[in-house]
Amino acid sequence: MMKWSHYKNLEELTEHDDAELDALKRRIVFAGLVVLFFMAIILGRLWFLQIYKGDEYRDRADNNRVRMREIVAPRGNILDSKGREMVTNRPSFNVVLVREDSNNVDELLKKLAVALDLDISELWEKLRDAEGKPRHIPVRLLEDVDWETLAYVENHNQEFPGIRVETIPTRVYHYENLAGHAIGYLGEISKKELAKRDLNIYTGGDLIGKSGLERLREPDLRGEKGSSSSEVNAKGFEQQLLKSEEPLPGNDIQLTLDAELQKVAEDLMAGGDKAGAVVAMEVKTGRMLVLASNPVLPLDQFVGGISHKNWNALLENPKHPLINKVVQAMYPPGSTYKMITAMAGLATGVINKDTVLYCPGHYYFGKRRYHCWKRGGHGAVNLKRAISESCDVYFYQVGLRVGVDRLAEYAGKFGLGHKSGIEMEHEKSGLTPTKDWKKKKYKRKWQEGETLSVAIGQGFNLATPLQICQMTATIANGGTQYRPQLIEKITDPDGNVLEQFEPVVVDELKGEKKFLRLIQDGMEEVVQGRRGTARKVRIKGLTIGGKTGTAQVVRLKQYKHLKEKDIPYKYRDHAWFTCYAPAEDPEIAVTVLVEHGLHGGSGAGPVARAMLEAYFSDRLQQAAEADKAKGE
Amino acid sequence: MFRIDRRFLKSFDWLMLVLLLAVSGMALMNLYSASYPPSPWGMPPYIKQCYLFLMGMMGILFILCFDYKELHFWNYPFYIFIIILLLLVLVAGNSAGGAQRWINLGFFKLQPSELAKLMMVVTLASYYSRKEEELGYGIKEMVTPVLLTGLPFLLILKQPDLGTALMLGIIFVSMTVFAKVRWQTYAVGVILGSGAGVFAWFYLLRPYQKRRIETLLNPAKDPMGQGYQILQSKIAVGSGGISGKGYLEGTQGHLHFLPERHTDFAFSVWGEEQGFTGSLIFLITYFSMLFLGLYAAMTARDRFGVFLSFGVVMLIFWQAVINLLMILGFLPVVGIPLPLVSYGGSSLLTTLLALGILLNVRMRRFQIGQNIEKVKQK
Repeated sequence: MMKWSHYKNLEELTEHDDAELDALKRRIVFAGLVVLFFMAIILGRLWFLQIYKGDEYRDRADNNRVRMREIVAPRGNILDSKGREMVTNRPSFNVVLVREDSNNVDELLKKLAVALDLDISELWEKLRDAEGKPRHIPVRLLEDVDWETLAYVENHNQEFPGIRVETIPTRVYHYENLAGHAIGYLGEISKKELAKRDLNIYTGGDLIGKSGLERLREPDLRGEKGSSSSEVNAKGFEQQLLKSEEPLPGNDIQLTLDAELQKVAEDLMAGGDKAGAVVAMEVKTGRMLVLASNPVLPLDQFVGGISHKNWNALLENPKHPLINKVVQAMYPPGSTYKMITAMAGLATGVINKDTVLYCPGHYYFGKRRYHCWKRGGHGAVNLKRAISESCDVYFYQVGLRVGVDRLAEYAGKFGLGHKSGIEMEHEKSGLTPTKDWKKKKYKRKWQEGETLSVAIGQGFNLATPLQICQMTATIANGGTQYRPQLIEKITDPDGNVLEQFEPVVVDELKGEKKFLRLIQDGMEEVVQGRRGTARKVRIKGLTIGGKTGTAQVVRLKQYKHLKEKDIPYKYRDHAWFTCYAPAEDPEIAVTVLVEHGLHGGSGAGPVARAMLEAYFSDRLQQAAEADKAKGE
Repeated sequence: MFRIDRRFLKSFDWLMLVLLLAVSGMALMNLYSASYPPSPWGMPPYIKQCYLFLMGMMGILFILCFDYKELHFWNYPFYIFIIILLLLVLVAGNSAGGAQRWINLGFFKLQPSELAKLMMVVTLASYYSRKEEELGYGIKEMVTPVLLTGLPFLLILKQPDLGTALMLGIIFVSMTVFAKVRWQTYAVGVILGSGAGVFAWFYLLRPYQKRRIETLLNPAKDPMGQGYQILQSKIAVGSGGISGKGYLEGTQGHLHFLPERHTDFAFSVWGEEQGFTGSLIFLITYFSMLFLGLYAAMTARDRFGVFLSFGVVMLIFWQAVINLLMILGFLPVVGIPLPLVSYGGSSLLTTLLALGILLNVRMRRFQIGQNIEKVKQK
């Protein structure tokens, strides 16, 4: 037993009046009421949160927990007619930020910028662009990063909550920028586009075809997005995959183009630093083998978004790489139009194959003197010579006799003056003038003198390189105008054919067919004849029919006396050459336009020649070997 | 003195012990879930809490051996001891989150501010039970208790630990009001108190403390910070619905949306997993314990016993109310634990010792020991 000195003292201290103690205890009842009051508040609040608002909070908890992520579908591949892969996909890695998962975005970006040695203002700009978008949608900070960056971000993900690496399929161009205008490029979907599209299919940040087939065939190529639902924790780290739906790749498109031949065309144009177009068509089907527009559209620059610098360079390039010269540029057809005039003359009976007209080097009409390109004149010429030597005076007279309206009628039968309907964007219809047209357009009467210019392909006449090629093919195949075809077939990812495209006949010559032989003879003479304008195109072992043409850019006296190479580039004439081969049984029509290339025969001819050599290389080689054997 | 009289066993509040064990059982079970999956490093929190619980129970047993009246004597040594500890914390304490609150004892980190709460109860009980004033205390009599409270209050505020400092103030107000003061004293108290409050807002509170209060007034202002914690807690509790998501099935807690989920926000985990039904069972048990504590105060044999048990009930009650209201989104995040439930050794030990005092008062309600002493002395 312990004894405390103060014990007695304590006794006294704690002895109290019972009445006072009772009053104190009565106050405990009041305290009990306070406790009860707060207990009621807490229970009431629990009822409110768990029962009254329970469902709402349950939804929020689920949203907290489950993060749905879209998986971008690989776009369909684009193949050439021989099944060669032109455009496919590869995985690319983007560094993205999910703002919802970061509690201090500024801090995070600063840290990231330091770690990866980036310009923070660029990151901020990306962030600003994403303002207004839902916070759970990833913001792309860096696109198509290298392995080093990828490894760094993946290994340090704990330090960057909210930063993630996203794998998305990106386009690969196996032939570099081959057929860039036909294929087209991709870009991030714009707000304007998004407003027009089905929001179940597209969301902000998606890539969408912006030009060419990528745009026109977007519904076929895009495929269907997949999705994955993962459980995430508050730091945004995925804990567990709950559900995953694989994306469905887009459908493959097989083109009619021949990638190798297209490459020959583009290389030739690029090699000579030529601006223009090379078009090749299968004569008996309308299938397009080559659709080359130079300078090419640099598709690779658009991957991951084109930079302002590159875009401005494209815009300011005097050779206009953004324009698809195959269908979007119109040129006076020049002498290539003379076949139309000839056809109209023959069909209307104003001339026949033996009609001889005299060319003194010029022709007087009204008070004006119209020159032939050959100042000395061709003398007496018949149709064959008129075509092969491209006598202007001959066709002035034929044109006058036929009249402009009937010229236009026959031009239409060969594909001029209207859109061909090829699957390319912003196709121009060209122009074949008529009297009505001039009245409507200029409110003025047609002057007969203007018919002279039209008859030799100048004046108001305009045509796209594709139209000239179509015209050539129609002459070569005996008068059937096919719609130029770019797509062979569309197949699903399993290889099942969804759509097979067949040749479509747009128009066909009837009784006039018999006159085509005469025109073909003239065109053969152009290349094969002794005095033909395109003798340089001749290939041993192959009979070619063709026609040169020069499209006047300006008719300025001040340049007349200059030597051709002294004329400023932009005032030089455009050079045409269009041809088909083999003449005995035509298979292919090739049209070459070289902007400011001066003369058809010298400026455009060699390109067409090389194209034919490439196309017929096997047969030419065989023939050469056979010759050799015979010789021995 | 160490002989346990049979009558003590008879008058021991067994129901209170059962309720205490029930609450502790639920708390440990909840702690297991809150810290699930177990971290591979160190002792899992629930095991540690188990040990501390057993330690606390032994502490209760120890306290029961003495008449609570002994505290009249031990009160001031205890007070000085705690003040020294509080000073020690400021000088050499372990800091976390910008505040110095712990003294590392190796086995666990002692948080003297927790013990200070109990010390405050005992000190004030001792003071008020000695000085009896029928008309209520005047301003002069209030000087001593204000100073006694003010010293640890400022020391804790300096750490800074706003929540615990506030707790000391609340204990002081509760017990003082209970002891009855004159209305003039109230008037002076309110004026001085609000003056101190304004002063504190401009000169004492740290920016993060102000932000917490501002966030409560406008939670949307800071969705990822303080408001985020409250929001996530509300989502956790609310998504529990009527029957809850099931034990260990809570997604808010296990996916780390809940902050401090095994300490201050432990009840969110319970609410999410056990739902309204489970929360009801828990709260009824918990508050029954408090009501039983008030009953112990009612039946105490003397004024000191009344003040002691009342103070202990208030100590637990106010912490629980503030913690729960915070979890349910009615109060800012102030860092006050739910006694017996939140993980934390100091808080658990303090609460168990406080309940030990309560059980002691209840057990000795018939003045048995005292009578014996009196007889002996005579």
